Amino acid sequence: MRRSRATGSDGRGAQGIGERRLVALAALALAIAIGFIAVQSLAGSAVYYLTPTEAKERGLAAGQTARLGGQVEAGTLRYEPTTRDLRFVIGDGVSRVLVIGTGAPPGLLREGAGAVVEGAFAADGVFRATQVIAKHDEVYEAPPPGATPSRR
Amino acid sequence: MSIGWADIGAGALRAALLFALGGIVAAAFAARYRDVRGLRSARWCALVAFALVVLADAAMIGALVTHDFRLAYVAGNNARETPLFYSVISLWAALEGSILLWTLVLAGATTFVAWRGTRALPRLATTALGILFAMLAFFLLLVTTPAADPFVASPFVPENGRGPNPLLQNNPLMALHPPLLYLGYVLFSVPFAYAIASLILGEGGDRWLVATRRYALVSWALLGSGIVAGAWWSYAVLGWGGYWAWDPVENAAIMPWLTATAYLHSVMVEEKRRLLRTWNLALVIATFALTILGTFLTRSGIVNSVHAFSLSAIGPLLLGYLVAILVVSCGLMLWRSRELADGGSLGAPLSREAIFLFQNVLFVAATVTVLLGTLYPLIAEALGGVQLSIGAPYFDRVQVPIGLALLFLMGVGPQLPWHGASRATLERQFAAPALAAAAGAALALGSGMRGAAPVLTYALAAFVAATVVQEVVRGVRARRVLHGEPAAHALAALFRRSGRRYGGYVVHLGIALIAVAIAASQAGAVEVERTLSPGGAMQVGQHEIRLDALSEVQEPQRRRVIADLWVAGPGGETRLSPSFAFYPNATQPVGSPGISAGPADDVYAILAAYDARGKAWATIRVRVIPLVSWLWVGGLVIGVGAVIAALPPPRRREVHLPAIAAEAAAGAE
Repeated sequence: MRRSRATGSDGRGAQGIGERRLVALAALALAIAIGFIAVQSLAGSAVYYLTPTEAKERGLAAGQTARLGGQVEAGTLRYEPTTRDLRFVIGDGVSRVLVIGTGAPPGLLREGAGAVVEGAFAADGVFRATQVIAKHDEVYEAPPPGATPSRR
Repeated sequence: MSIGWADIGAGALRAALLFALGGIVAAAFAARYRDVRGLRSARWCALVAFALVVLADAAMIGALVTHDFRLAYVAGNNARETPLFYSVISLWAALEGSILLWTLVLAGATTFVAWRGTRALPRLATTALGILFAMLAFFLLLVTTPAADPFVASPFVPENGRGPNPLLQNNPLMALHPPLLYLGYVLFSVPFAYAIASLILGEGGDRWLVATRRYALVSWALLGSGIVAGAWWSYAVLGWGGYWAWDPVENAAIMPWLTATAYLHSVMVEEKRRLLRTWNLALVIATFALTILGTFLTRSGIVNSVHAFSLSAIGPLLLGYLVAILVVSCGLMLWRSRELADGGSLGAPLSREAIFLFQNVLFVAATVTVLLGTLYPLIAEALGGVQLSIGAPYFDRVQVPIGLALLFLMGVGPQLPWHGASRATLERQFAAPALAAAAGAALALGSGMRGAAPVLTYALAAFVAATVVQEVVRGVRARRVLHGEPAAHALAALFRRSGRRYGGYVVHLGIALIAVAIAASQAGAVEVERTLSPGGAMQVGQHEIRLDALSEVQEPQRRRVIADLWVAGPGGETRLSPSFAFYPNATQPVGSPGISAGPADDVYAILAAYDARGKAWATIRVRVIPLVSWLWVGGLVIGVGAVIAALPPPRRREVHLPAIAAEAAAGAE
């Protein structure tokens, strides 16, 4: 191993200092650029978690991406195998929302069980789901009626 | 009344707590007064506490294996039908058991430091030992309070238990993934304890860092293997065709790995250039704090995660522990700030130390942005009262550019000399790798990759691989010239004698492999979903998939509905059986994918829905995912590299003297 202790300024003069400053500035610029990208992306990627009641109270605009959490109401889950048309009603004990999606429901999706759907309201008030997530956790229990989805 | 598993376990933990507390006193006494008797007592305290925790863990396994439902933990996580293997690994299937395993690893690490670590640097190591005892005492306190006591009795003794979480008894990887993570998490306590000890003693030097380098490396490697094993488990079990979802639990594991990776590199700057002292201390403290934060996030139920543990009273205790760690660490660093001055300053922009600095900035930025995305929902709820989630798009948008920049620096860094590089050096070092990068980009475009990120990933991975090959070839050539060894012998000697350096290169190769696997599997996956009747077929990419039958099987612990698929593709024919499993104590079925893994691509089939009455149809989702198997191979390569780097180099024996003498004699003639 070399035992030299180059301190930059000895023998290299102004150029050494300039180079050091360049390194520090480059590192700073890097950090700022990443911070900028992060803040920009964060605002765009936030998806609100709402219960059907909250969604109605907020008057969520048509087309705005959101997640609805609640229970799949009994007797409403329909999956048409040939067209792969999926529809069910998600409710929180107070409000109910009709959800329409395409594709087989996730294996854990059951009537009476908790579910989270991601998508947006269409102009007709129907929630068009792009993603259906059945809630499953260590303890297999449906959330109590009226519970907000991110609480367990 | 006879003595049960619960009495043995609970008794052992309480006794272990006494020995851990005794260990704190003994180690403090030994460090303060440089007293040998104190050290001897501390060693025995560690060993006895470790033995007692082993006993407690064994008692829990005994209770699980004998299905002793008098214990609430066994009743909640085990059933009579649970196979022996899954009964044993249920030790870490839920909150209380996993903290018990954590305590076991911590007690083991404490014992190892007590008996081995204190041989060198006795004062520093003994002080560190006292800190480890304090941490052990905290965890023993945790497992003996009602919040996380694994040996609490059931309110009533059920006829049969609930059985383990169905997701956890589906795949043997579950046996590997959590213990690897815990080992990684807990082993990082050792560098942290040494760092704090060095601050307490006011040692300005880097002795703590040199003494714990290997612990940090092993901890990092285990954490990394645990993360890859977890990704593999997620891929093989959860049936969504992916392996990483930026779930809070995954983020909790990746954050300390990121800061630990930064640390493993910045350590070299301190060793070689006496720079970045405060920075290295901060990285060790941050890594350790992140392991605790991860535990807090996933064990307290505070964040919403697919596989979070349920809400628990352990949260406030862990939060208090985390705050205490941060306050003490930062306070000590401020107090000792004068001793932490650097012995020089950073060199030219094109020097190895400057690349390490950029690399560290990127790793820390990656950590901070992951942390921001993970905690933002909590902040938004606390401040704005709204519930929101931050999805994968945020993480992808931020982490992909950082990852690409890191990949680039991974190729550049090892090729640059310390202090600065001349133009001639740059040309000599980067001519071949630049050509390789162009070839990599061409390969990506040729294999149908589109988009800047995947093509860049291929190019940079080829760049990295070329730098590694170039280094190894030059190393071998140098040894052949210097020692006259044959190539194979020279290669082995290179890895044996400069394990840290060449092991590091092997790790770089593994990372490049993983980068390519991620790029290909993310950008090149094709998914098709169809509803088929038995006999019906579908085409996905170059593979044809036919549904032969839909059948039902009754097994001891579950009932399964299986889709019998025939798959034909360029690699030949195979059969897959994605299924749904129904467990008696679970309200919902668990889907298992059928996977046919290959070097070119995986065929990943999921039974998405089926006709429960007449078995007349099934909806099958098939994903063809290119190169995804190489992700696990890359993990293995990283593990091998880490082992090479961690193995101590052979003692410098006098074996070279005769050779040199012979050379000298030859020269004299």
